[in-house]
Amino acid sequence: MAHEVELQTAGNMWKVMVKPGDQVKSGDTLFIMEVMKMEVPHEAPADGTVSAVNVSDGEEGLDAGMVAVVID
Amino acid sequence: MLEVIKSGLETSIQDYPGRMGFLNLGFPWSGAMDSWSLRLANILVGNEAGAAGLECQYIGPTLKAQRDTVIAVTGADMQAKIDGVDIPMWESVALSAGQTLEMAYAKTGTRGYIAITGGINSPEFLGSRSTFHKAGVGGMGGHAIQKDQVVPVAAGHGTPGRKVKASARPQLAADKHWTVEVVRGPNDDWIDEPGHERFLSTEWKLSAKSDRSGFRLEGPDWTFTDKAHNKLPEHGSDPANIIDQGYPVGAINLAGQTPIILVSDGPSMGGFINPYTVPQCAFWKLGQAKPSELLSFEVISVEDAQQKARDITELCSEQSVA
Repeated sequence: MAHEVELQTAGNMWKVMVKPGDQVKSGDTLFIMEVMKMEVPHEAPADGTVSAVNVSDGEEGLDAGMVAVVID
Repeated sequence: MLEVIKSGLETSIQDYPGRMGFLNLGFPWSGAMDSWSLRLANILVGNEAGAAGLECQYIGPTLKAQRDTVIAVTGADMQAKIDGVDIPMWESVALSAGQTLEMAYAKTGTRGYIAITGGINSPEFLGSRSTFHKAGVGGMGGHAIQKDQVVPVAAGHGTPGRKVKASARPQLAADKHWTVEVVRGPNDDWIDEPGHERFLSTEWKLSAKSDRSGFRLEGPDWTFTDKAHNKLPEHGSDPANIIDQGYPVGAINLAGQTPIILVSDGPSMGGFINPYTVPQCAFWKLGQAKPSELLSFEVISVEDAQQKARDITELCSEQSVA
């Protein structure tokens, strides 16, 4: 089952730590957003393989709710 | 009596108008950034308009009630649910003992407000319950709420099903563009005419490096009058430097070439000029603007700014309840 990881806040993408094909475990940090000078890490909801990454380092003005990473 | 299951992102206790009268000691007003929304939430649940509630930023909290109460959620739409069922905003809603209020990310706007019948009764500091985390005062322990804390709430009487008329609510920008009122000064005579024209004709981008202390704007460079270039050495070498002065709340503070709006938790003095000031009547717009949204500025008089603030205060009353 595919897990879609949505942005939980509006803001900027500070750092993306995964790429398609990477194996991740539940709880691994996938990417870190920045808002209000704070880091907002987003973690993998399940074990699996990253099948899509729709964000990149330094992207600005992202809206919450966007699907950023897909894990199969 | 609200147990914090998830804290959200810097969710803090704020009241209205905040910690007034202590700027000379370095304490900013703090208080709700969008006090229009907080005040209406309080009216819905039967509180005084200025009672302490929760300001939720970007990502809301999850809270479990330890006794029966009535709540209202206003401001940004954070997809509020009670035990997994959507609840209406701008309406008082019963929250029973053991039920969980869950807020997610802000779909529209940035800051959501939760008022609870009776009002939060955490300890006051200098006459306010508002959290000012940089000094570690107000709120609970001086900081944003934390998982496993219990937010104390006073007794009160609330009635579910009370709604705010649509005409009395702040209208959040749907097109990512905000027109924000400003008054000129105090240091507008340090900027030349092309500089003023540029400021007022530019759509300034709100930086993600903005918080309750300062809203950083991205846009063109500023140009200055002779006053900024030919000045006594104690003012400092940069054209935007001035001998240390008091800052108005809402000052558009020019840090070199970067304008930073000093908002609710901002500094009370420093050595940069403030060519314009955002009046209190426009703070709710700042409180609801998202990073990378565009801000245009429109000059109004001090009298008009005061009248607009009075108009909002008038709306934050029983007359706005349907």
